Amino acid sequence: MASAGSGGSVTELASRLYDACLANFPIDHLFYQQDLLGLDIIPKNDLPLLLQCTQSLVDQKLLRLLQGKNDRLAWKLIAREDAEKLQNLSPDESLVYNVIHSTGRSGIWVRQIQSRTNLHKSILDRCLKSLEGKSYIKSVHNVKFPSRKMYMLAGLAPSEDVTGGAWFTDGVLDENFIGVVSGFIEFSVSKKSWYEVPAADRARAKRLKTADGSAAAATVKKDGSAKYLPYPAGYTGYPTIAMLTAAVNQSGITPVRLGEESVTQLLEMLCYDNKLVALNNGEVYKSVMNPEQVKARQARKPNEDRAADDDRLVLNGMTEVPCGHCPVFNLCVPGGAVSPENCEYFETWIHEKGPLSF
Amino acid sequence: MASQYAAELCMLMVEDNFGELFGRIFSTLHRYERLTLPRLLGYTRLSENRLRAALVAMIQHHLVYFYTAIEEGGVTYYSANMQAAYYLVRSGKILELVEDRLGKYAATVMSTIMYLGHAQVSDLDTLPDLRPEAPNTNGAHNEEVDLPGEDIETNGTNGEYVLEQSALHPTLKALAGHGYIVRVREAHFQSNADNILNIERQIRLGDSAQSMKGKRLEEYVLEKTENMLRERLDGDLTRGHLVNGVPRGVNRNRASGGSADADNNRELFDYEDVGDGEEEDEWADDEVPMDARQSSITVRVNYEKLDVALRNRRFLELAERDAPSETAQIYDYLLRRIEYQTSRCRDTSEIPREGEEGEQYSVAIPLSALAQDIDHYLDLVGSLAPINTSTNRLGKRSLDDAINDDDDNDENGTNGNRTFEIDQHLCLLAQPPLNLTSKRLNGGIIHWTIEFRHLARKLRHLELERIVEARYGDVALRVLRVLQAKGKLDEKRLQEISLLPFKDLRQVLASMQTGGFVDLQEVPRDAQRQPSRTIYLWYYDPDRIRDSMLQDTYKSMSRCLHRLNFERGRLKDFLEKTERSDVKGNEELYLSEGELEKLREWRAKEALLLGEVSRLDDMVAVMRDY
Repeated sequence: MASAGSGGSVTELASRLYDACLANFPIDHLFYQQDLLGLDIIPKNDLPLLLQCTQSLVDQKLLRLLQGKNDRLAWKLIAREDAEKLQNLSPDESLVYNVIHSTGRSGIWVRQIQSRTNLHKSILDRCLKSLEGKSYIKSVHNVKFPSRKMYMLAGLAPSEDVTGGAWFTDGVLDENFIGVVSGFIEFSVSKKSWYEVPAADRARAKRLKTADGSAAAATVKKDGSAKYLPYPAGYTGYPTIAMLTAAVNQSGITPVRLGEESVTQLLEMLCYDNKLVALNNGEVYKSVMNPEQVKARQARKPNEDRAADDDRLVLNGMTEVPCGHCPVFNLCVPGGAVSPENCEYFETWIHEKGPLSF
Repeated sequence: MASQYAAELCMLMVEDNFGELFGRIFSTLHRYERLTLPRLLGYTRLSENRLRAALVAMIQHHLVYFYTAIEEGGVTYYSANMQAAYYLVRSGKILELVEDRLGKYAATVMSTIMYLGHAQVSDLDTLPDLRPEAPNTNGAHNEEVDLPGEDIETNGTNGEYVLEQSALHPTLKALAGHGYIVRVREAHFQSNADNILNIERQIRLGDSAQSMKGKRLEEYVLEKTENMLRERLDGDLTRGHLVNGVPRGVNRNRASGGSADADNNRELFDYEDVGDGEEEDEWADDEVPMDARQSSITVRVNYEKLDVALRNRRFLELAERDAPSETAQIYDYLLRRIEYQTSRCRDTSEIPREGEEGEQYSVAIPLSALAQDIDHYLDLVGSLAPINTSTNRLGKRSLDDAINDDDDNDENGTNGNRTFEIDQHLCLLAQPPLNLTSKRLNGGIIHWTIEFRHLARKLRHLELERIVEARYGDVALRVLRVLQAKGKLDEKRLQEISLLPFKDLRQVLASMQTGGFVDLQEVPRDAQRQPSRTIYLWYYDPDRIRDSMLQDTYKSMSRCLHRLNFERGRLKDFLEKTERSDVKGNEELYLSEGELEKLREWRAKEALLLGEVSRLDDMVAVMRDY
């Protein structure tokens, strides 16, 4: 009788405890014993009673039992609607669900679930299938381990580690997206790192130069198009990472908001491409080419770049001479089967280049 | 240097320049290393008279080292001087440089010295080639060294004697002042190893060495050897020709050539406190003793110094690519100044391994000295953007200009301002990624220097990057730069940084690995070395690539020359006709239309191939000499 009476009061107490927790703490607060006792719901700080209450809440899936610091018991709240979901699960399913839940945004590999739950493979598969069917969990693609089957809760967005950052769509590097964003970044950096001489000024500069008769060619050559000048050292107007991130996000070329880390990654890549230069240890960036050149290069189709290759490095001896591309260079010996005398690459090269030198 | 292809190339160069006999002796000496005369006779199967004559000529050209071993009873050994043979390739470039700096006549003098190997000044006097027609003398000279006024005066006072040789001696002086020629020392005829051994032997026999033992002795010998070697090889002629670190004549020209107010400016800046008149006297006083001493001097081309000049030209090209032309011009002035005081490209004989290289700064040039050099009409303001445009673009800019315009009209007032402008231009060059200059503060005075090793490395990387880009595309270049910056990386990290799809990345890496540009390191996680438990790291070793590219370059050069010989062989009869003494120079007269066309074609072909060899030599210079 006593137990029945206390049982009734335990459920009642438990639900009061739950409501109090919900009212006083955020949903993901980690509760320790003191926190619960501090709510003044359990009379006389009766520890066994508290234990009973929490146990009943755990049974109703309203609390999740966790191990806090120093091996202390701790609890976390579960929202009522979630709890209802969980209550409908079979014990195996809820075991699997908890394991997947515990890994949060990073997801968990099927093999790991198996080893943690000790379930048989067929049972595990069935559980996963039914959980996926109820859309409680989803399978995700991990860039680091493309062959592994991973799961995480349906409501969560996979973390950067899993997706590989903003540059991956469905685990595959999105080249077009990268191309568009990097083009945009390069152009916007370029606009800020070159000074465009105002038209009126240009005319004046030209007049001056022709007047003293020296080095007039430089200005005359670029006449008609805008003239750009580099800023002197110590110029502070170069764009920072934060500025660029804001600019990219405002421009509307990205479907998702890009974080600063993603933009930094892209900026570094552009540096390796020799398109940008990092100054002050990567705080600010400056472009190598002025806006006009950037525009010209971006307008060019990737297929026809051989004709006008001014953004490529200047050629050197080894890239010009046929030997530089010769597939049988290692076999070439004077008087041998492959020799400079019978070399057909030389033949065509001399014929191509010969008349041009006049 | 003494690799198969380098030897092949040197052989071809010697043969091409001096004929088959030299080629034969040279290749024999290279193949068998050091030989005595009897053995050389045996291997080359030449008659003794011919061999002796040829050897003398080759020694004259520094193609052969000789060493007479007194300790072995006076046996003389001969060995091939690969370096000198290689420099034959660079002769064209050197002459072009000299012509560019000091004028056509200086180039003629230089080529004569080159042609003779080494020459005594008094012999040069007597050569008909170097004696330009009298009316031309002054004109030619003025053009070269750009001496206004004073030069003609000097000629006038010294009378007829000078008139005849006026061009040669000042030109030689200018060459010596720039360090392009050096005095020949006896040690120049012996290989480096012989010199060192010889000196060491002497030191060990010396009094002070007798009292020492063991480690101390070794250290002493090492130190002393270095000093003595330097002393013996030292043929520096620039001493006495340099005023304030600038060859005589150059400084004053710049200053007085520019503007009417030059003298005022100079007085402001002449920190050594050498007044105008004083300098004039010095210049005149030198005339006589220098000549007397000079005519007995034997001179040769100083390739080490010329490498410095050629290297500086490459630096300048780098600057021209990225910076406005005015900035590049200022850089040119700085480089010139530095060149005068730099005798060789680096202190060690080999290029040190990547990452183990210490920095070696050039001499520091005070900003004020530069300001004095730079052409006063160079537009310094218009080529750089104003620093504070971000606030109010248009208004500020025009205001600035108005002020500067006023200053330009008033020459004296602008000095401080111009110095600042020059500093700004140099600061621009000091910026990454190239860091072409670097700033030093010496006792509060701004000095500018150049980090030679850093820039030489940059040049090297650039050459390699060009090859990679041409062969494997720009994606490969990105991967390579990542590997270079980050060291060894596994594929996943590499992808994260380079942002390339796995497929492309693997393709590029695989093709570069086949070409030997990148390589894979396996790091097993356990003793079994299973592939699945192994980490694979990609890496890029610039030293190794540089070595192999250098060999490839030698090979390409030698292939070009081979091809040239082959093409020449095809047209042998025709070419012999064009080289007949009556036809040569009168081609239009003796050759038919078709033949003329053929000749033109041949010349184009020759120019193409030789031009290519010289382009390849640029690469060799970067990878081996700078």
